[in-house]
Amino acid sequence: MEFNRRNFIKFAVGGTGGILLSPLPWKLIDDIAIWTQNWSWVPVPVRGKFSYLNSVCTLCPGACGIQVRKVGSRAVKIEGRGDYPVNQGGICPLGMAGLQILYNEGIRWKAPMKRVGPRGSQEWKEIPWDEAIDELATRIKGLREKGSPEKLAAIDGNQSRSTMALLIKRLLSSIGSPNYMVMPREEDTYDMVNFLMQGSRGPIAFDLENADFIVSFGCSLFDGWGAPGRMLSASREWVKNKTYLVQIDPRTSNTASKADLWLAPFPGTEAALALGMAHVIIKEKLYSKEFIENHTFGFADWFEEDGVKHKGFSRIVLEKYSPQVVENITGIKGRVIIEVARKFASAHAPIALAGRGKGTLPGSLYEFMAVHALNALKGRVNKKGGPLIADDIPLAQWSDPEYDPVAMDGLKKARVDLAKTPRYPFSRSLVNKFTETINNSHGSPIDTLMLFSANPAFTIPDSQSFIKAMAKIPFIVSFSPFMDETSLMADLILPDHTHLEKMADIVWPTGIQYPLYALSQPVVKPIYRTEHSGDVIISLAKRIGGPVSGSFQWANFEEALKERVKGLYDSGREKVSWADIKENGYWSIPAHSFEGGSDIFQTPSKRFEFFSTEIELAIKAYSKGKSFDDALLDLGISSKGDEVYMPHYEEIKSGADKKEYPLLLFPMELINLASGWIGNPPYLNKTLFDHQLKRDDLFVEVNPKTASQYRLKEGSKAIIRSPKGELRVRIHLFHGAMPDVIFIPFGLGHTAYDKYLKGKGVNPNEIIDQVEDPLSGQPVWWNTRVKLIRI
Amino acid sequence: MKKEDTTKGNRYGMVIDLDKCTGCGVCLIACASENNIPVMYDESDKTRNITWLQIYMVTNGKEFPETEVIYIPRPCMQCDNPPCVPVCPATATDKDPTSGIISQIYTRCIGCRYCMAACPYHARVFNWFDPWFPEGMDRYLSPEVSPRMRGVVEKCSFCHHRLMRAKAKANVEGRRDLKEDEYIPACVEACPTKAITFGDLNNPKHKISELIKSPHAFRLLERLNTEPKVYYISTKNWVRRMADNYLSGEFKDRS
Amino acid sequence: MEADPKEARKSTKGGWIFLLAGLIGALIVGWIIFPVLLYSEKSQPLTFSHASHGPESDAGLDCEECHFFYKDGTFSGIPKIKKCIECHEDPESPLTESPEEVKLFTEYVGPEKEIPWLIYSRQPDCVYFPHIAHVKMAEIECSVCHGDFATRKTSPPYKVNRLTGYSIDIWGRNIAGYKRNTWDNMKMDDCAECHTKKGKEDNNACFVCHK
Repeated sequence: MEFNRRNFIKFAVGGTGGILLSPLPWKLIDDIAIWTQNWSWVPVPVRGKFSYLNSVCTLCPGACGIQVRKVGSRAVKIEGRGDYPVNQGGICPLGMAGLQILYNEGIRWKAPMKRVGPRGSQEWKEIPWDEAIDELATRIKGLREKGSPEKLAAIDGNQSRSTMALLIKRLLSSIGSPNYMVMPREEDTYDMVNFLMQGSRGPIAFDLENADFIVSFGCSLFDGWGAPGRMLSASREWVKNKTYLVQIDPRTSNTASKADLWLAPFPGTEAALALGMAHVIIKEKLYSKEFIENHTFGFADWFEEDGVKHKGFSRIVLEKYSPQVVENITGIKGRVIIEVARKFASAHAPIALAGRGKGTLPGSLYEFMAVHALNALKGRVNKKGGPLIADDIPLAQWSDPEYDPVAMDGLKKARVDLAKTPRYPFSRSLVNKFTETINNSHGSPIDTLMLFSANPAFTIPDSQSFIKAMAKIPFIVSFSPFMDETSLMADLILPDHTHLEKMADIVWPTGIQYPLYALSQPVVKPIYRTEHSGDVIISLAKRIGGPVSGSFQWANFEEALKERVKGLYDSGREKVSWADIKENGYWSIPAHSFEGGSDIFQTPSKRFEFFSTEIELAIKAYSKGKSFDDALLDLGISSKGDEVYMPHYEEIKSGADKKEYPLLLFPMELINLASGWIGNPPYLNKTLFDHQLKRDDLFVEVNPKTASQYRLKEGSKAIIRSPKGELRVRIHLFHGAMPDVIFIPFGLGHTAYDKYLKGKGVNPNEIIDQVEDPLSGQPVWWNTRVKLIRI
Repeated sequence: MKKEDTTKGNRYGMVIDLDKCTGCGVCLIACASENNIPVMYDESDKTRNITWLQIYMVTNGKEFPETEVIYIPRPCMQCDNPPCVPVCPATATDKDPTSGIISQIYTRCIGCRYCMAACPYHARVFNWFDPWFPEGMDRYLSPEVSPRMRGVVEKCSFCHHRLMRAKAKANVEGRRDLKEDEYIPACVEACPTKAITFGDLNNPKHKISELIKSPHAFRLLERLNTEPKVYYISTKNWVRRMADNYLSGEFKDRS
Repeated sequence: MEADPKEARKSTKGGWIFLLAGLIGALIVGWIIFPVLLYSEKSQPLTFSHASHGPESDAGLDCEECHFFYKDGTFSGIPKIKKCIECHEDPESPLTESPEEVKLFTEYVGPEKEIPWLIYSRQPDCVYFPHIAHVKMAEIECSVCHGDFATRKTSPPYKVNRLTGYSIDIWGRNIAGYKRNTWDNMKMDDCAECHTKKGKEDNNACFVCHK
C-alpha cells in the first residue's frame, strides 16, 4: 500500500475521472469564453433614464434648434429639432458632433490658468477664479489710473447682436476703450451694402424658400453658408417648387453640382458678371419700371441743383458692361450671360445673392453692391422671395452705461484698427488693420487684449502677422473654453463653458427671413471648473468698481439677458413669456409683412440708391485737404467719376508679380470641416476623403491640365509658395477645379488642440497675402498669387 | 440557391435620392454618434477606420467646366440574399426574420472576416484596434448600443436599437405593429435635405414602396442577385450607369 | 535484476483505494470547493426588505410604485434615492426602529446620494432586454425570472463570478446548471428555452435579444 508510481497513476486517473465528473472543467471553459468578451478597457456605457432636452446650437450664428438625448445626467446624442423654425430638423455636421466638443477633455481648459513659464512654453498654473478675475481687474484699474483705458482691447467672435457681444462692448466702453473689435465676417459687407444702398442698419434677410430663381455669386449654399441647417432644409423646398439655381463658383462645389446651372467666372470678377447681367436687363428693358422710377435714386442721368451732370447707373452699365466686355473679364460666354440675365428677369421671384464660401469671411463691397443692384433692377427688395429689409427685433435696450471722465477721454481716442475713421468710414471693425498698426508701431498701443469666442491666430487671413502682433501685446486674456492657438499664447485663461453648458442667445440668425430670437439653455451641468464669460464680465466690472460697476447692475448674465428679452413679451406682437421663450428656445414673428414703398429706405434720398450718397459724403470728407485723385488712390479705388459711388467692377490688385507667382490660391470652405474658432471634432475627420487628407498630408485640388504643366500627378508632393510663406501639400487632380487655380480647404493645419487635430494638414491662412478691399478696407483673402513647386 | 419567401414580415429598406444628397456628411456623423463608433488618430486610413455608413464621391469624369460631382451614401445594403451570412462559421451574423435586417453579434464573432470578403459593398469593417474614445469622450456613449471589442467585425444595423426603442414605446400602448415614422435609423432622421426615405418594403402604403417603382430607382451591383434593400434614385444617366458593370449597349437610358 | 512479479502485484494491492481517493478528492474539489472559489461575495450597501414595503405589508406599496415603466416603454429598474425620500424624509421621525434605516438616513438620504445597489439580475452589455415586452405584452410574472424577491425580508449577498464578472443569479445558482426553478439561471439558453417554447422561431433570432 505504498504510494508508488502505479498507485500514483491510479490516484491521478481517479482524480481526472472525478474532475471530469464534476462541473469544474465545463464551467471553466464556458466562463473563460465569456471572460474573453469582457476586456476591462472596452467601455460599458452606464445605463440610466432616457430623456430629451431642447436647446439651440450656438456654435455658429445659424442657431439651429437641437434636441439632446440624455441618459441620466449624460448627453449621448444631438439631433435636429423638427419643430424649430430655422432648421426644421436638419443640422450641420459640426452641430451633430457637438458632444465631441463638450466631452473632449483633450481640448478643453478645465479651470482658470495663469501662465508661469515664458509665453508659448505651455507651463500653466491652475488658479482660483477669484484670483483670476482679480488679476484682470487690477490690470484694468491700473490702465484707468494711468489715464489710458484705451489700451484695453477686445476681439469678439460672438454674433454681433447677441447679449454676450453687447455685454463685452459695454464693458469696454464703460472702462473707456473704443477698441472693441469683432472678427471679420461676411455680415460686415452685407451691413455696409444695406446701409449704403438702403440706408438701413439692420441685417439683410433672404427669402430663399419663396424665390423661384436664385443666382448665387459664390455663396456655398449647400456647403455651410448662412444657417447650414436652414439652407439644407431649404433645398427640399427648392426641389418641390422646381426653383432654378444658378451657382457661380470657380470649382464644382457641392452647391455647383446641385445647381441647375453652374458658371465659373475667374475669381474676383463676379461684380463684372453681375453688371453684365444688369446690362442685358437694362438694354432689353426687362427691369421693373415701377420700382426704378418710384423708389430708386441714380438710375438715370441727373443734374444737381448747381447744374453738375451725373451719369446714371443705367448709362454706365450700358457703356461699360456689354456681354462682350464682360466675357473678356470673366471668361463666361456673352450668350450665356444674356441667357441667364433673361431668365433672371423673366422669373417670377428672382433673387441674387452675393457671398463667397460659407460666409465666415468678408466679401468685396462693390461686388456685393453690384449683385444687390440686380435685386433692385427687378424691384425685388422687400418682396416675397426677395432680399428683405425687416424691422429689428424688439429687444429692450439696457440703460446707457455710466461714463466717468477717464472713460470719456478714453473713448475719444482713435481706434487702433482705424475702423469708423474717415479712412475706413463704413467698416465697424478691422482686425487686419489692428494687426498692421501694432506691427508698425514701437511697442504696442495695446496693453491688454481680451479674446472672446475667437481663435484669430488660426482663422485670420495672414495669421502669421497676427501672431507677430500678439507677441508684442504685453498681456493677453483668453476666455476660450478650448486650448486653441490663440489661448495657448495668452497669459491668463478664464475659460468659458461650451455651448451645451450655458445659456446664450443669437439675435436674428444669419439670413433668416423674419425676426427670430434664439435662446439656448444648458443641456448638462458644467463638467469642469469653467464659468460663463457673461458672469465673469459682470463680476469683473464689479471688481473694477466705480462707474464701471454701476453699468453692470445685474447679478449675473441671465439677468442681463432677461432684461433685454423682456422687450419681446412687452412688445405685445407675440404673446409669450420668459418661460415660453426659454422652453421653446426662440421668439419670432413668423411672417414678414413684405411692405413696399419708399418708407423702407432710410438713405438720404429716401430711395434705393444706385448712387450712394453716403459714399459721396464719405469720400468728400476724406478728400478734404488733398487732391481727389489721391484720396481715391488711398481708398484703393481705381475707377473715376460717378462710378465711384455706384456698384462697379474693381479689379482686385495683388502685390505679387504675376510672372513669379502665376497661380491663384483659392481657399475653400467645406461643410464637413470646421474652419472657424471651433476645432474640427474627430467625427468630422471621418467624413474627409483620403484625397483630401491622408495621414497628416493635406491635398489641394488642381485641374489635371495645370498639374501636368508642373509634372504633378495624383498624390504628388508639392510646395505652394506665396510672398508670405509656403505650405507643403499633396496634389489631388480634380477636373472640377478651374485651371490655374489651387483650391485649398480652410480648417486644418492646427498647431494646438489634441492629437486628433494637431499637425494634420496645413493652414492656408499662414500664406494668404491679403490686400485691402477698396473702400471697406476688409481683407481680401481669396486673391493670393502663388507658385507651385514639385518636390 | 433557394430563395426564401421575402413577402412575410417586415422588410425594412431605404431609398436614397442622390439628386437631393449634397454630401454634407451629417448621416455619417449621426450614425457614428448614435452607434458608439470609436475614432482613430488617423481617420484617413480608410482600410482601418470604422464607419458603418461610408460616403463615396464620384464625378462624371468630364472636364472643366462640365464636371459634375455626386455623393453616394452607403449603409449596409441589408440584402434579402446576403452573401455574408452563409459564410460565417460562427453564426455571428444572420438575417432577422421579422425585420429583414442582417444582424451582427459582436460577442459571437471570431474575427475571421469571411463576411467582409463576401460582401460586395464593403459594408463591413473590422476592429483592428481596441475601441478608442478620446479622453473623456466615453461620457457620451449610449447604453443602447454595445461597444465593440478588438478583433470583431461590425456593420450598419439600420439602427436596430431604434426598432427596439420604437417597439417598447408601441408596447406601452399595447401595440406590436409600428407606424411608418415610428422607426427610422439615425442617418435618415438626420439627413437635412431629406434625401433618405425609410420604410417597410412589404407595406405598399409606405412611401418607400412607391419610390422604388420610379424608373430612376436602382440598386448597386444589382446583377449579383444579392437583392439589396437599399435603393438609390438618380435622374442622371451617368450615375445609374456607374451602379453596375454594364456591357456596351446594355444600359437603358431613362432620362 | 529481475523484478519479482509477485512482489509487484502485492504492492498494487489495494490500489483501488488510491483510485477512489483521487476520485473522491476530485469530486470534492469540483463540486464543493470550486464553486466556493469561483464566486466572490459582496453584501448590499443596505439590507432592503421587500416584504415590509410590498402590497401585503404595512407600507402597502404596489410593485409599480417603485418599479414602473417610463413613457417611452423603458423600465425604471431599481428606484432612485428620491423615491426613497418620498417616505423616508425626516431622520427625526424614522418609520422603523431598524438600524438599516438609520444608515439610509445618514449615508444616503442626508447627502442625497444614490445607493450603490448591486444588481442581481444585470445582463451583459450585449443583451437588450425590454421588460415591457415580457411583462406587459407576454404577461410574464416578475417571479418567473426574478424568483421570490418580492417577498424577501433581507437582501441576500451578491455573488459574482470571478472570471466573467456576472452575478450568480443570471449565471446559474447551481454549479452544474441544474435548474429547479425558472429563475435559477438567466443565461442565453434559458431565454432561448422560453423563446422557442412559444412556438415562434422568429422570436429566437439573434437580434431579438442582442444589441
